[in-house]
Amino acid sequence: MPEVNTEKIFASFLLSVEQVTSIDEFNDLEKEYLGKNSLISEERKKLSSMSEISRKKYGKVLQELSTQISERLNQERLSFQSKFFKEKELKDNKDITINWYKDLGSREHVLTSVMNEVVDIFSAIGYTVATGPEAETSWHNFDALNTPDWHPARYESDTLYLDENLEQLLRTQTSTVQVRHMQNNKPPVYIVAPGRVYRSDQLDATHSPVFHQIEGLAVDENLTFSDLKGTLEYFVQEFFGKEIKTKFIPHFFPFTEPSAEVLVSWKDGEWLEILGCGMVDPNVFQHVGYDKNSQGFAFGVGVERLAMIRYKIDHIKNFYENDLRFLRQF
Amino acid sequence: MKVLKSWLNDWIDISEISNEDISEGLESLGFEIEEQSDLKPNYSNIVVGKVLEIYPHPNADKVRVTKTDVGSKTYEIVCGAWNFDVGAVVSVALPNSEIKDGFKIDKRDIRGVESNGMICSASELDLWDDHEGILILDDNILPGTDFSSIYTSSDYLWNIGITPNRGDCMSYLGIARELSNYFDKKINIKKSKLNPSITNILNTNSGKIKECDSYGSVEIENFTVTDSSFLIRYRLSNVGTRIINNVVDITNYILYDVGQPLHAFDRDKLFNTVSVRKAKNNETVTTLDSQKRKLTNDDLVITDGDKPIALAGVMGGLETEVTDSTVNLLIESAYFDKVSIMKTSRKLGLISDASIRFERGIDFNIQKYGLEQFLMTLKDSQDIKYSELSIDTKNNIKNEKVNLKKDEIKKLLGIELKDSFIKKTLKNLMIDGEIKNDNIEFTAPSWRYDLDRPVDLIEEFAKHHGFNNFSSNLPQGLYKNEKGNFWKVKEYLSKILISNNFQEIQTLSFVNKEMNTVFNPEKKYVTVFNAIDKSNNYLRSNLMSSLLDTYIFNLKQNNILNSYFEINTVFNSSVDNTFNDVPNQNVVLGFITSANLTTQDIRKSNQNIDIYYVKSLINQLINDTQLEPIIKPGFHQNYSFSIFKNNEIVGHFGQLSTELQNNFEIENEVFLGEIYVNKLNLNELKLINYKRLSQYPFIKFDLSFSVPVEFSAHLIVDEINKLLSKNENEIEIFDDFQHENSRNLGIRIVTRSYEKTYDDNETRQILMKISNSLEAKFKITLNSGNND
Repeated sequence: MPEVNTEKIFASFLLSVEQVTSIDEFNDLEKEYLGKNSLISEERKKLSSMSEISRKKYGKVLQELSTQISERLNQERLSFQSKFFKEKELKDNKDITINWYKDLGSREHVLTSVMNEVVDIFSAIGYTVATGPEAETSWHNFDALNTPDWHPARYESDTLYLDENLEQLLRTQTSTVQVRHMQNNKPPVYIVAPGRVYRSDQLDATHSPVFHQIEGLAVDENLTFSDLKGTLEYFVQEFFGKEIKTKFIPHFFPFTEPSAEVLVSWKDGEWLEILGCGMVDPNVFQHVGYDKNSQGFAFGVGVERLAMIRYKIDHIKNFYENDLRFLRQF
Repeated sequence: MKVLKSWLNDWIDISEISNEDISEGLESLGFEIEEQSDLKPNYSNIVVGKVLEIYPHPNADKVRVTKTDVGSKTYEIVCGAWNFDVGAVVSVALPNSEIKDGFKIDKRDIRGVESNGMICSASELDLWDDHEGILILDDNILPGTDFSSIYTSSDYLWNIGITPNRGDCMSYLGIARELSNYFDKKINIKKSKLNPSITNILNTNSGKIKECDSYGSVEIENFTVTDSSFLIRYRLSNVGTRIINNVVDITNYILYDVGQPLHAFDRDKLFNTVSVRKAKNNETVTTLDSQKRKLTNDDLVITDGDKPIALAGVMGGLETEVTDSTVNLLIESAYFDKVSIMKTSRKLGLISDASIRFERGIDFNIQKYGLEQFLMTLKDSQDIKYSELSIDTKNNIKNEKVNLKKDEIKKLLGIELKDSFIKKTLKNLMIDGEIKNDNIEFTAPSWRYDLDRPVDLIEEFAKHHGFNNFSSNLPQGLYKNEKGNFWKVKEYLSKILISNNFQEIQTLSFVNKEMNTVFNPEKKYVTVFNAIDKSNNYLRSNLMSSLLDTYIFNLKQNNILNSYFEINTVFNSSVDNTFNDVPNQNVVLGFITSANLTTQDIRKSNQNIDIYYVKSLINQLINDTQLEPIIKPGFHQNYSFSIFKNNEIVGHFGQLSTELQNNFEIENEVFLGEIYVNKLNLNELKLINYKRLSQYPFIKFDLSFSVPVEFSAHLIVDEINKLLSKNENEIEIFDDFQHENSRNLGIRIVTRSYEKTYDDNETRQILMKISNSLEAKFKITLNSGNND
């Protein structure tokens, strides 16, 4: 009975495999050795005319050959493929040191991102954002905040007014939002009020006629000085990091009593002032129509100052010039 | 205020307390430490010498040669000063010594004469500024004495901030009082023992006005103008006061020491009763600085008879000034009203050590003590004769008794204070008070203007308890992470713009008139009455001008970016919608972008920004908007649109008018817009109508129609959507070709049924239905041979 020489066929297959130069040739080889018109298929057609014993035996031989070829083919194909792509990648070698897309992407202004961060820190402990007008009445900016009418802050050299009777002005502090908010809302109050404030200053390295503050106010039953202290310590640690220490030193603001300034420990043991705070003065509660026994605390932080400390920014003018060389650094 | 440790030590024994502990004490009491420094002599190897001989220099006219005894030896020293004679005791920098700032002194040949060192002036030793010549020392100091042993130069200096409510702490006495409680040490009140030996020849009184509650004075005879003592000169120069002469120095010294401003008149230039009154309008007085000051009825003047001779509490007058020939003095020690002095001093721009103390409020009961201390100091160094003190007091100022309930302390501070602490604090701060059952009754001392309410005393206790000794607690509000609609809309919109490569900016709120009129010629503007920069005295009515400015500014800086936005307030003079007592203010999001910028980077693809891009940006920012053309100043005639949401205007956008583009010298088309942040609601912006996905294959065909030039393409899109409303559709215009009076619109329709796979026949029917409906409805023609 004529039988094909399986070893010879396999040897010829191996020889062909060695000569493969592209992945597609594996498909050709598969066709040639295992396809419809392959030698193996031709031989299989002969099986039906064989005796049962021969058929079984020869069938098994053909099956083994076919399996052997198919397994080897897949194995070779995978290894060829993996080698092929590795070589392809090695040839593609760009100089990554070039910054082709250096200006990719745009950003929030650094002042906005600092404000958002502060708002997030306080919203996490239940403070909502409150707003108020930037062009304000003198009453909201000064009188309601317990600032006597002879106070130097009211001088035209310090405050920008909108009329000659000095009845309307550009708010000098976001504390005005405290007043507006309390006039329209009953306690408990937990708010932060980010926004622009104005002073009669020329734009220079450390002064700007426009800058930003974030005011905070909490009025609730039984709020004490310890609550104020804990709140601001929480803020400092969230903003500057857990390792930063704070200290509170007595200060004076017309609208709080006791009043304090908060200092944070900075590099080289230096202490920097970052915010002012205090227990809301009873006169303020009275002005907004709250019960005179109300209790709460308020604080105000300068946004530019936070940014300048954190990023070591040397010139306040940078914030308002909007030079992309500056804006893109943050 | 500058605080010298050695001076403070006069009042409270702190010699054994470390500088660090004192710093901590000062700070915890509310004195912000602005600067602190260790003072060391700025010289070395300086000795005392006595001038034995003086003779002319053989080769130079401007200097003399001295023989000076320096204890161990007698040296020949050349000297250029002429303010001394034989017998003068002086400070000598020997060869191999150092004067101010490490300047080395050695033997030196001066025009043929060898000078063995230098005779020094006060400024050469960095003691104080003195250009009168060399420093003359006391006759009885022995030659050879080490100079640093007779002049204290080792000390510690703090420069501390004093809050405006604590005028009483603008003196050594005041600071000592605060520290005395901190360190629990007694303060030493300086005593005075006086023997008046002359009678007053002038009458003085506090006048008829309430602004001068107390006017004290003393007359002094047999006085000589000379230098004040070393101690006084040392102390004053270190607190930053100019050294002048004994009388001026001692008045300044008492001001710093006890807080009472004094003024010295030359008594021989006064002739009538000295009193105080309000100035008449347009009355003038020439002050010590030779300035003629025009006064108003708000100012207080000291008068001789009726003639104004000084600006009370602010500055003395030139005419009655003490001069080198003065021999008799009248020293004034008065209490003037805080507000009145403040107004005069601010109005005239005259701020003196005296005026800042008066305006913060000085002790209303210290006028006599101030005079006594002045006399005690002056008579120490000079054999003067003086009169009885004259104090005319109206006694109108009185501190009332206040009652503090003890449980208020715990309520506000959260801590319980012991009675012993309360008693100790009251006593050390000299607050007249006592605990009566559950109350503390107290009266503020005459130097305190910040203790007239119960809460004021609580603050005092809190401060003296130490702010850093309080426990910390973190109270929380009910609504966590609820920032409110305004803030969330702001964050939502800016996130979208940033993801589209828009850079946020923050520009100043002040603009010139043109920046308002260019976009809002119709509006009433808000102006700043006392603007810093008179040309930028307008509050902006729009953000677009600032955005254009920034766009152009960065191009000029070679910074390549075409897209910016800003979220800030714009103003106009109508009444605000929310607050009826202020001008109208709205928070607006303004943005700018432009067609592609020229860049040298060949790898960057063209962005091709046009009005369609901006329109799609608007749709990304605000869902479900309708646009309506609107003619707006500064904008393109055709490309300017109002943005409506829920039938309300929420903004506008468009292309900058080509004329303005030309005027601003901008190369590319510019697009601008504003969105009214307060009109948007985050829940609506985030409202999502989920459309389920069809599981069946899509069919797709392109149609081309001939349409009139004026035709609005969205009509076709809307109509097709209506016809295929049961399907999942993507319908878009893919071509808009215009040539003279003809126009072809290409529409691509991709649609899927939710129920089945369309066969060829059904597909054809759909296509027919659409083209027939559109042709019939809009009277447009389907171009043949272009369906797919």
